[in-house]
Amino acid sequence: MRLLLVEDERALSDQVAERLRVEGYAVDIARDGQEALYMGGEFPIDAALVDLGLPKLSGIDVIRRWRAAGRTFPILILTARGRWQEKVEGLDTGADDYLVKPFQFEELLARLQALIRRSKGWATPFLECGPVALHTASQSVQVNGVPVELTAFEYKVLEYLMLHAGEVISKSELSDHIYEEESDRDSNVLEVLVARLRRKLDPDRVLQPIETLRGRGYRFNLEPSGRTLA
Amino acid sequence: MAAVTDSTLNRAGGLSLNTRLLIAASVVLAAFLGLTGLTLDGAFRESALVAVREQLKVQIYSLLAAAELDDSEKLAIPKRLPEVRLDTPGSGLYAQVNDAAGDVVWRSRSMLGLSLPFAAIYRTGEPAFHELENSEGSRFFAMGLGVVWEASPQKRSGYTFYVAESTEPFNALVGGFRRSLWAWLLGAALVLLGVQGFIWRWGLAPLRRVALEVAEIEAGRRHELSSAYPKELRLLTESLNTFLRNRSAHLERYRNALADLAHSLKTPLAVIRGAVEERERGEGFQETLQEQVERINKAVDYQLQRAAASGRTVFAVPVAVAPLVHKLRQSFAKVYAGKALRFDFSLDSRTVFHGDESDLLEVLGNLLDNACKWARREVALRVKVDGEQPGLVLEVEDDGPGIPENLYTLISQRGVRGDQTVAGHGIGLAVVREIVEQVYGGTLEFGRAERGGALVRVRL
Repeated sequence: MRLLLVEDERALSDQVAERLRVEGYAVDIARDGQEALYMGGEFPIDAALVDLGLPKLSGIDVIRRWRAAGRTFPILILTARGRWQEKVEGLDTGADDYLVKPFQFEELLARLQALIRRSKGWATPFLECGPVALHTASQSVQVNGVPVELTAFEYKVLEYLMLHAGEVISKSELSDHIYEEESDRDSNVLEVLVARLRRKLDPDRVLQPIETLRGRGYRFNLEPSGRTLA
Repeated sequence: MAAVTDSTLNRAGGLSLNTRLLIAASVVLAAFLGLTGLTLDGAFRESALVAVREQLKVQIYSLLAAAELDDSEKLAIPKRLPEVRLDTPGSGLYAQVNDAAGDVVWRSRSMLGLSLPFAAIYRTGEPAFHELENSEGSRFFAMGLGVVWEASPQKRSGYTFYVAESTEPFNALVGGFRRSLWAWLLGAALVLLGVQGFIWRWGLAPLRRVALEVAEIEAGRRHELSSAYPKELRLLTESLNTFLRNRSAHLERYRNALADLAHSLKTPLAVIRGAVEERERGEGFQETLQEQVERINKAVDYQLQRAAASGRTVFAVPVAVAPLVHKLRQSFAKVYAGKALRFDFSLDSRTVFHGDESDLLEVLGNLLDNACKWARREVALRVKVDGEQPGLVLEVEDDGPGIPENLYTLISQRGVRGDQTVAGHGIGLAVVREIVEQVYGGTLEFGRAERGGALVRVRL
């Protein structure tokens, strides 16, 4: 999952970004409103964390302009002022949830995961497709009830594919949502990751969960359960 | 409120009230008395002129009556005339008779050494009046009357009778009247202006007193305006007083919040310092730190939100409640999307709140947030108008487990600081209590909802 963190306080943004990366997210950081407006408009992000007190352009204005431009990714507001007027204004403008500073990282993570899940149409933190079950909070994966050990990158790929189960995901889309803007990308690495995932999830080659569509990308082919219409 | 000097006031607001009233009254008085004076003057002159004509007419007819034909059938006027002034030279009243040829037949003795350029022959019947001026520049009112004398039916002769009077007495009379008229009018104007001035001073005294009292408030010698003002000003002075009271209450709240904040920050800071010093020996350093940070956070939140409350506003437009409730509903639907709650909100769309919008949002936001947190499926909000009073009644309900009765008093207790609030309710209720009770003088009650959960009733 790829996130945009909009926060002008360097110490806080670095700290939060670092912990989010440990949790397996790709994180781009915008340090003022103008930068945020550009990155949110151009990058294929899955969710944005927006501090309301920003230099150049206020967080509220950034959100309003994103929404006016048709950007639909979920937005979590981070605010220092705990007054309801500000929270309601942010939510009314187009944000989806709020968090008052100082927050606990676990709280931030839980809200974020819920927002992303809901935005993809999943109602519960358990993503289940046939015998494959993925728990977003603990980032654990089970096949037929047996835990499967995945690396952080393997988990990222699987989570994205399962969230979009049944959809064709191109390689570039997949790498866009897994890597940050400045990182080196290699589509061969992606192929290796997918191959390893197939081996780990389906050692006997009976499930065939990930299908390769030549020249188009990948598709997670197991029928999801517990998914609601977005 | 910066002190504004008189000169800037004059520049900004134009002339002073006193000057305005003085100019207006002077113009009105001058116009009124001036027109009155001119009218009276004209009327007097006219009636004096009528009197002069009447007099001349009387003279001409009495002269006619005195005249008779002598034996040679010539017109003769007796030596002694009833009017003495005709016999006295230079008396100012003159008479002359011309015959049909225009030659002078008779002159009164008063005309001695004087010649008057009487006009030609006059028509018989009505005497004609006119003014004339002789060669020396003196002016006269003159009257002439043509008559035909019939000695016998065959013998008729025409004459013209003239009477003239100097204009001097007339001018003196009119001039005298004019002088005393204008003297009186001027006197009346001065008296009226004086009386007006007194009335303004008396009428505007309350305004001057307001200005004086405001100056005293600025100087710190007074806290609010006195209440004894005429009813036209009372709305202004009472609003000003409410405003001043709000301001000082606001300041007081800031001061209290700062003092409380300092107090509630010092304790956790002391604990942290102690923990740092005992770090080598002590266990659970991290837990202590986390606990105290949380405590500091709550204290900052609570005190700042308490101080941010604005209170009832004096000059502000009442706030429409329905749009705010709509926004809150949308917001909570988003934030609690995972719970899929049903919102049962009821209010009259015309309901207004006489206070600050963000205070109302703060109260409703906190109460609804708690309700959503505890609710299983349903949250209800009812906004009602409090009978005849301008206040509002807000009722927030949920279908959760409810608040245990033994906690009602604890939650409602005054002086419970933000870091001592009931677990699970955060500082929200403490902030609500502060705004409702301290800032708006309202009430906060807890109970059990029909749905089974908590019911919170707020009167604002």
